[in-house]
Amino acid sequence: MDAFYIILTASLFAISCGLLGCFLVLRKMAMVGDAISHAVLPGIVIAFLLTGTRDSFEMIIGAALIGIFSTFLIEFFHNKAGLQTDAAIGVTFTWLFALGVILISVFAGQVDLDQECVLYGEIAYVPIDLWIGDDGTIFGPRALYVAAMTLIVNIAFIRIGFKQLHLTTFDPAFAATIGISVSLWNYLLMGAVSMTTVAAFDSVGAILVVALLVGPAAIAYLLTDRFQTMMMITVFVAIISSTLGYYLAVLVDGSIAGAIVTIIGILFGITFLFSPSNGVLMKKRLQRKEAQRLKAEAPLS
Amino acid sequence: MKKYLIILLVAFALWSCGTTNQENSGKLNIVATTGMVADVAKNVGKDSVNVTALMGPGVDPHLYKATQGDLGKLQAADIILYNGLHLEGKMGEVFEKLERIKTVVPIARSINEAMLLDDPVYQGTFDPHIWFDVSLWMQTVVEVTNTLIEARPELADYFKANADAYRAELADLHEWVINEMQSIPPSKRIMITAHDAFSYFGRAYGIEVKGLQGISTLSEFGLKDRVDLINFIVDKQIKAVFVETSVSEKNIKAIVEGCAQKGHTVEIGGNLFSDAMGAAGTAEGNYVGMVKSNVRTIVEALK
Repeated sequence: MDAFYIILTASLFAISCGLLGCFLVLRKMAMVGDAISHAVLPGIVIAFLLTGTRDSFEMIIGAALIGIFSTFLIEFFHNKAGLQTDAAIGVTFTWLFALGVILISVFAGQVDLDQECVLYGEIAYVPIDLWIGDDGTIFGPRALYVAAMTLIVNIAFIRIGFKQLHLTTFDPAFAATIGISVSLWNYLLMGAVSMTTVAAFDSVGAILVVALLVGPAAIAYLLTDRFQTMMMITVFVAIISSTLGYYLAVLVDGSIAGAIVTIIGILFGITFLFSPSNGVLMKKRLQRKEAQRLKAEAPLS
Repeated sequence: MKKYLIILLVAFALWSCGTTNQENSGKLNIVATTGMVADVAKNVGKDSVNVTALMGPGVDPHLYKATQGDLGKLQAADIILYNGLHLEGKMGEVFEKLERIKTVVPIARSINEAMLLDDPVYQGTFDPHIWFDVSLWMQTVVEVTNTLIEARPELADYFKANADAYRAELADLHEWVINEMQSIPPSKRIMITAHDAFSYFGRAYGIEVKGLQGISTLSEFGLKDRVDLINFIVDKQIKAVFVETSVSEKNIKAIVEGCAQKGHTVEIGGNLFSDAMGAAGTAEGNYVGMVKSNVRTIVEALK
């Protein structure tokens, strides 16, 4: 069952991240996942300073609150100061990370405290990190429940708010004129992103989450111009890369997260070269054909 | 679309059910996290156990990430031994939960809490580097022996005899380290290392220890700390600073240069094994060899 649990957990998180990633890629905010992975540091430190424990629960709450705060800051700088989103992301997460480093050196230099050892999980532990009831009944991997819950919340959120999210992504000016609050939906989306990333950090680690937010959506973006199709392809790529990635990890006996991200990279490379609409090689071929046609049609010299 | 997904998932569920590896060689299968923990198990179990250490030489246990193969080893294990006290980070938390359905033992729990170094401000966050005090590490042998006896009661006498022999060896080692450290003149008993792993060593063998970094590898070194440390080295005329096999030596080199600018030459006294042992097969590849190598390096550099 191990393989099944790992692939299923990875796939569920990959779908959650991928669906949100579609919006993020189109909004030019794809790196917000990376930003959150750094920005949560002060949240962890403050949670530790307040509670004095390094247990997952307190760490996740601290991280989630700071995650939402950081996405709030990013939106705020972007909206109110007119700063480009990439610059707003950059300023926010570097500042928060630095704050975390300073908090550690001032208050907790003698305590082993950083995201790597108190927050980021490892997907290989999924089958042994079980949810055990008080009477000793084993309900199966804990991360699987978290992943399923996260996916349900995300799908509900996207279904209910699809029109608003779609409009504020593609045409914020038009959305505003018909009475949709652009910033409200931005905040809601960012809130969903922070919740998803922090839940996923705890279960499967950081690098995988960052890659899942960007990779599948970017691949789908190269393959289609229709948004619904893009989301479909993202889901498909998410599942394929989780599955192939797991077996690559088995083959080389390496990190599972690393292998999944490698597969995403390879799939992206293939798409980049061979995508029928946007692939580099396909474009070259079209250009060549076009040139030949022009030559044949106009033999002037 | 949904239909394909369901077919795909069901196919994998069926396929993965069929592949469970069965290994049974009659020996107890023990998986340990660090090399030091594995060494205790090897010395108590000898021929009757198969011991695997997850973390190889030069690995920083705080940052270790398990591979797919590790998962198989953990599941095939009859007994899982780990250091505890948050040395293994998040992995330790998983082990804590696993304890309810498998024999999983944090060997540090055999040590009385009063003997552990606690954080002065945040009570209960102990320094996990217990293996540097040989007399403290010796106590973990009891926990390991009891665990093995519980798994194989028929071999109790064998385990007890092995444990006694190993404890005697460690007691000798403890004496040897004390004697060796005595050969350093008292005024020179100060060691500077890359990260704060040697507090137990300092307490047990009467040497002042200063770490460049805090225990966490993220607690960066402040500018003022750096100036203070350089002044401290120059004032006390310290001859050598040490690098560790599992921590980057960049920071400690900066200190050496800082001292050079003040006209005081301080050498890099050599490599200490802190969070991981040497490669298997070498003299430093077991606990006793590792401690001896560290002590020799320290004594030679500071004498």
